[in-house]
Amino acid sequence: MSWDEFWLIFVTCAITMLACRVLPFFLLKGRELPDEARRALNLIPPAAFAALVANDIFDPAMFDAGIWPAAAVLVASLFVILVACKTGSLVWSAITGVVVYALLLLI
Amino acid sequence: MIQSGDTVTRRESLRQSFAAAYPIMLGYVAIGIPCGILCDSIGLNALQVLLLSALFYSGAGQFMIPNLYLASTPVASIIASVSLVNTRQMLYSASFAPECGGASKLLAFFFTATVTDESYGVNIAKFKTGDWSVGRALGVNLMSQSSWAISNVIGVLVGSLIDIPLSIASFAMTSIFICLLFTQKLTSENIIAAVMAIVGVAVCKILGLSSAAILIGAVVGVVCAMVFSSIKRRLIGKGDRL
Repeated sequence: MSWDEFWLIFVTCAITMLACRVLPFFLLKGRELPDEARRALNLIPPAAFAALVANDIFDPAMFDAGIWPAAAVLVASLFVILVACKTGSLVWSAITGVVVYALLLLI
Repeated sequence: MIQSGDTVTRRESLRQSFAAAYPIMLGYVAIGIPCGILCDSIGLNALQVLLLSALFYSGAGQFMIPNLYLASTPVASIIASVSLVNTRQMLYSASFAPECGGASKLLAFFFTATVTDESYGVNIAKFKTGDWSVGRALGVNLMSQSSWAISNVIGVLVGSLIDIPLSIASFAMTSIFICLLFTQKLTSENIIAAVMAIVGVAVCKILGLSSAAILIGAVVGVVCAMVFSSIKRRLIGKGDRL
């Protein structure tokens, strides 16, 4: 990639990213939000985490190459869910996920 | 020796930020190094990767740029796709507004400017406990950002000397999201928001709208849960009158 292409991509993406990160906060900050809006904002965490998980795990073509190894992701996820509910720890969840997924792929 | 109260508080709040940030930092090492390696493969140097990691600071975006470039995607479409993927940040930004209303403008700017999926999750959970500050949240962001930037630069410098299987490394991040999801309160609204977000993402991906899947899925989840709760409250209201 040339420096010209790099600058164009870097500067434009950094600006749109900054706008998405900063503007909504400053538009809403300090305002007395109606109850409805407050409830909608409180629903963002569960909806966003579910969307991020689904985006990582689900792929329309995931079972094209057979049930295994696609199902390994699902089995590893079940282990992570168990550990997450039991410990609530991000690190233990991440370690469990990586180790179980790696072992399942070795099978 | 007598230590001033200020130093102790500052050290204590750094310690608390680190305790919250280290799972993210470890995850960023695991995916930052492969990301740097990928950037190296399209000829980006350490300085360019440092700029991207420090100022653009987006895991999804920094994987997309080299992948799209390798697929000879025109620069304009690279910019459009990457920007579209990052629009989900608007949701995080909005959801911090009620939590961080009291912070100074400058602090709030640096804090919101350095939010990622992972640090959003960690900080929003901390804010919900009531015992968290924008300063400590910014600490989490900056520690995560440093880990990401350093790991990316290491990736460029070592090139392909280390071989980290990316699908396994990136499952560390997926596991963090799973943990954040399953430690949410089990209210019927939250469950509907999560389930409908998953359905929304799946439908987007089947329709080929992958780059907006997270944003659309999350919005679908929030809207469905809002509709559900307003119907529920209307029914309860009717019940009261009977």
